[in-house]
Amino acid sequence: MSNNKLTVVDREGSTHDLEWEPDQTLMEALRDNGLPVLASCGGTASCATCHVFLEKEVFDTLGERSEDELELLAEAEGYRECGSRLSCQLGFSRDLNGVTVTLAPEE
Amino acid sequence: MREREAMAGTTAPVVIVGAGHSGVAVAAGLRARGWEGGILLLDAENEAPYERPPLSKDLLKDGAPDGSAVLRKEKFYQDKRIDRLAGSTAESINRKGQTVLLSDGSRHAYHRLVIATGSRARPLTVPGAGLAGVQSLRTRDDALELKRMLVPGARIAIIGAGYIGLEVAAAAAARGCEVTVLEFQDRVMSRVTSVPVSRHFERLHERHGVRFVFGAAVTAIEGGGRAERVVTADGEVFRADVVLAGIGVLPNQELAADAGLDCRDGILVDGDCRTSDSAIYATGDVTRFTSPVDGASQRLECIQNAVAQADKVAAHITGHEAADPEIPWFWTVQHGVRLQTAGVRHPEDEVIVRGDPLTGRFSVVYLRDGRLSAVDTIAGLADFRPARKLIAQSALIEPILAADPGIPLADAILKDLDPTDPDPTDAAPAAARI
Ligand SMILES: Cc1cc2nc3c(=O)[nH]c(=O)nc-3n(C[C@H](O)[C@H](O)[C@H](O)COP(=O)(O)OP(=O)(O)OC[C@H]3O[C@@H](n4cnc5c(N)ncnc54)[C@H](O)[C@@H]3O)c2cc1C
Ligand code: FES
Repeated sequence: MSNNKLTVVDREGSTHDLEWEPDQTLMEALRDNGLPVLASCGGTASCATCHVFLEKEVFDTLGERSEDELELLAEAEGYRECGSRLSCQLGFSRDLNGVTVTLAPEE
Repeated sequence: MREREAMAGTTAPVVIVGAGHSGVAVAAGLRARGWEGGILLLDAENEAPYERPPLSKDLLKDGAPDGSAVLRKEKFYQDKRIDRLAGSTAESINRKGQTVLLSDGSRHAYHRLVIATGSRARPLTVPGAGLAGVQSLRTRDDALELKRMLVPGARIAIIGAGYIGLEVAAAAAARGCEVTVLEFQDRVMSRVTSVPVSRHFERLHERHGVRFVFGAAVTAIEGGGRAERVVTADGEVFRADVVLAGIGVLPNQELAADAGLDCRDGILVDGDCRTSDSAIYATGDVTRFTSPVDGASQRLECIQNAVAQADKVAAHITGHEAADPEIPWFWTVQHGVRLQTAGVRHPEDEVIVRGDPLTGRFSVVYLRDGRLSAVDTIAGLADFRPARKLIAQSALIEPILAADPGIPLADAILKDLDPTDPDPTDAAPAAARI
């Protein structure tokens, strides 16, 4: 499988184009490309430091968020009901090729 | 600034000893912060650096793959020009010459040295502790060995009811083992949580068939070649095929101590994670430092601290400001129930139960001099992020409001006070008004 392309808007508003490899979660793609995603829980939906915003059209194509994910997100800075995700909970999918991901503000 | 000039002119790499959570985060952080020089990452363990939390959780489950999650893919180290030397132990430091000597006899110069050697399981010292079947849990090899022994019907005695002991108890019970937990204190997780949370988790384990023996001081392990029995001070004998010792950790500080760096149950570091030698940093489980929150001298054994300290090291070496660290936090999962804690509780803190434990889902709020010091959340994370924020602010809390789960935690703060007033005891009249 080939890589996905991603456009990432960081917390300063700069954009970065990067490659998302099939064996990475979205969090890993962000973190391993040097973006400031702390991911202090190692991707277990515990820390919420991997919070990102997706465009609504993209968000709507994804599955339901787990209860843990929802509870962490609901209290997050800038929470968007139809846009906030924990990037560690998003596996690679062809449908996410070319999407734009915005890093949520740090707390 | 001086550091940045040094960066361009130096030839010796930053040498990191230990490729656990903290060491790997230092290497990644250095590159993320623009360090152009060499990075040499040494590790005593042979395999690709991996996550430790799953070792006592998912990895022990029936049918779970033996490969534990790696911290970074192999390609990451190549892409970031991080030289990894696996299976090599650092034996000694020559501070004057700025070199480290490895077990294979090679010597490596460093520009800056980072000691990220972590901690090891505190060894059981009673007679019989060396028998086959007696296991501790720190590395992937330990976990795989343990997993092999957790067969249905096996009798497993767990010494110590801390996070690791209890996570293993849950995994073993789920695999059909007969589980007995022997604990010296009178409740589980007594070091890290309060009585209501301990009781809740004891009942949870008991419902899954785990047996607890409190006030148990283990004096010997007996058996012919293999562990067969655990004996306690009051003469009780427990039959066991497997004995797991989960009695805490010791910092791997010998490398530093032998080099004359200040150590006291941990390598002493300042707010930038520098040791008593300005060219040497230490980070992660191995360090002892003064809490910026409450001034206590502490050693923290958690991923949050390993990663936050790593960021400080990378920032300081490259001459940047470190990000504000998160409030320390911890998590454990037992029988599928998550306990997640923000902040560091002290035993004398006031305890406020928020919600009804019988529903299976509640929080416990801890106050020190009226200010929020820590929050435990059980089977729910709604209070977790507000808690971190309020702890960072040392928020003064109204206990009656905090006890009501219908009121958001953030609305339980006493807002009417002069925030510059340093004396929290002045909170009393305001509290009385409500
Ligand atoms: C089973 C288990 C479950 C855990 N679960 C959680 C959890 O759910 N949440 C949480 O926050 N924390 C958890 N922890 C704690 C967490 O794993 C540690 O806080 C974290 O690993 C500390 O990172 P570190 O880099 O300081 O040390 P480590 O990860 O221990 O890494 C240190 C490395 O240094 C190497 N080393 C030591 N001495 C030398 C030497 N002289 N030369 C070369 N290499 C050396 C070691 O072999 C090791 O690989 C758990 C720990 C264990 C063991
Ligand atoms: S990495 Fe911690 S919640 Fe995603």
